[in-house]
Amino acid sequence: MSKLDPRIHEVLDGELPLERLPAELRALVLRLEHAAGLLRAGPAPASVAGRVLAALHRPEPSRGRRVLQWLTERHVITIAMRPVWSLALAAVLAAVVLVPDHGSAPLLGAQEGIARFVGHFPGARSVDVVGPFTDWHTGVVPLRDDDNDGVWSAVVVLPAGTHEYMFVVDGERWVADPLAGRYVSDGFGRQNALLIVRPVGR
Amino acid sequence: MRRVALFLLAIVAPLGAQSGRGSVRARLMGRVPEAAIAVVDSVVRVAEGERLPTEPLVQKALEGAAKHAAPGRIVQAVGAQAEQLRQARTLLERGGGTPPTAIEITSVAAAMVRGLPPPLAGRIVTALPDEPPGPALHAVADLEGHGFAEDAAVDLIVAAARAGLRGLRLLDVATAAVHELQRGATHPAALATVRRALPDVPWPPKPSPAEVNRARRPRPGV
Repeated sequence: MSKLDPRIHEVLDGELPLERLPAELRALVLRLEHAAGLLRAGPAPASVAGRVLAALHRPEPSRGRRVLQWLTERHVITIAMRPVWSLALAAVLAAVVLVPDHGSAPLLGAQEGIARFVGHFPGARSVDVVGPFTDWHTGVVPLRDDDNDGVWSAVVVLPAGTHEYMFVVDGERWVADPLAGRYVSDGFGRQNALLIVRPVGR
Repeated sequence: MRRVALFLLAIVAPLGAQSGRGSVRARLMGRVPEAAIAVVDSVVRVAEGERLPTEPLVQKALEGAAKHAAPGRIVQAVGAQAEQLRQARTLLERGGGTPPTAIEITSVAAAMVRGLPPPLAGRIVTALPDEPPGPALHAVADLEGHGFAEDAAVDLIVAAARAGLRGLRLLDVATAAVHELQRGATHPAALATVRRALPDVPWPPKPSPAEVNRARRPRPGV
């Protein structure tokens, strides 16, 4: 690559007037400026084919723009469904909205733990565990004996700490959990079982 | 501006306190015998003034009613519970530091109701000044409940805390000693075995994921 005369740089940078150059250098500067002008203007599509090719090479809109465009444009959406399925779907939605959520699978808080209550009460019709966590009401935490072997159980989320409790069998018989291992006087002539719940993270 | 805020606070604070009162009465009404409600309410009010936890008192009244206790018996039990909470807080405050939480007070009160005499509980608090004493007290009560001598039980739990075990892990120390008994060891031998192993005592089994999924949160009001 041949080296340009430094005076040409000075003229192109506007530091030296063009008239002060010798004639051959002045001609060179004019040719350079002409070439730069052509480059700035860019090639104009000369034909229909050229214009089509130029359109094809236009950059794609971004993904976000395409999503926005899809969301704001009109679309016809058709869902083909048998009437029986639409009724079933309506029933499920109604159940979700109307049936109170008595116990969805829990997300445990840092200060909560799991308590497992188990009792052997053969022949019982119902067994409840009651304590401050039920306001001493029956019916809040019923134990279950799904296989009718007389072993009743329930698994409950409780705040970490100490909890007194008793079993209530058939709605009337109060029984201290014989497997509890810890007991406190209840102040009414009986013993409550005492449970210490650990937080999940210990 | 500050005067306006103070004026509003002066008006709103008693209303808030009254609504708190109202909610205690509302929880007792219809469940606790009418004759007991006024006295229980006044015991709760006094406890509130002393900054004691009041929920255990309300619960004791509800428990008495659920067990069909006579009004006098309910009042007596609520009064006794207030006294236990008071003793527990006094014990906790002896250690200094931050004021004890309601959970700590309730836990220590429960440990003392299990039969730990106040001097013994005080000894544990003094020996473990940086430790919330509830678990340590329950661990000693667990050991006593299985026939271990009082002094030996306290010594083991204090040794466990000094070996680095904290909080509910102290209960595992008592459980380990009880397991040694169940394996046929004598009381002194069980204590010696656990002490030698400190601080390595087994963890209790964690609940399985299936159990966690099965677990339900009780909702008494629903």
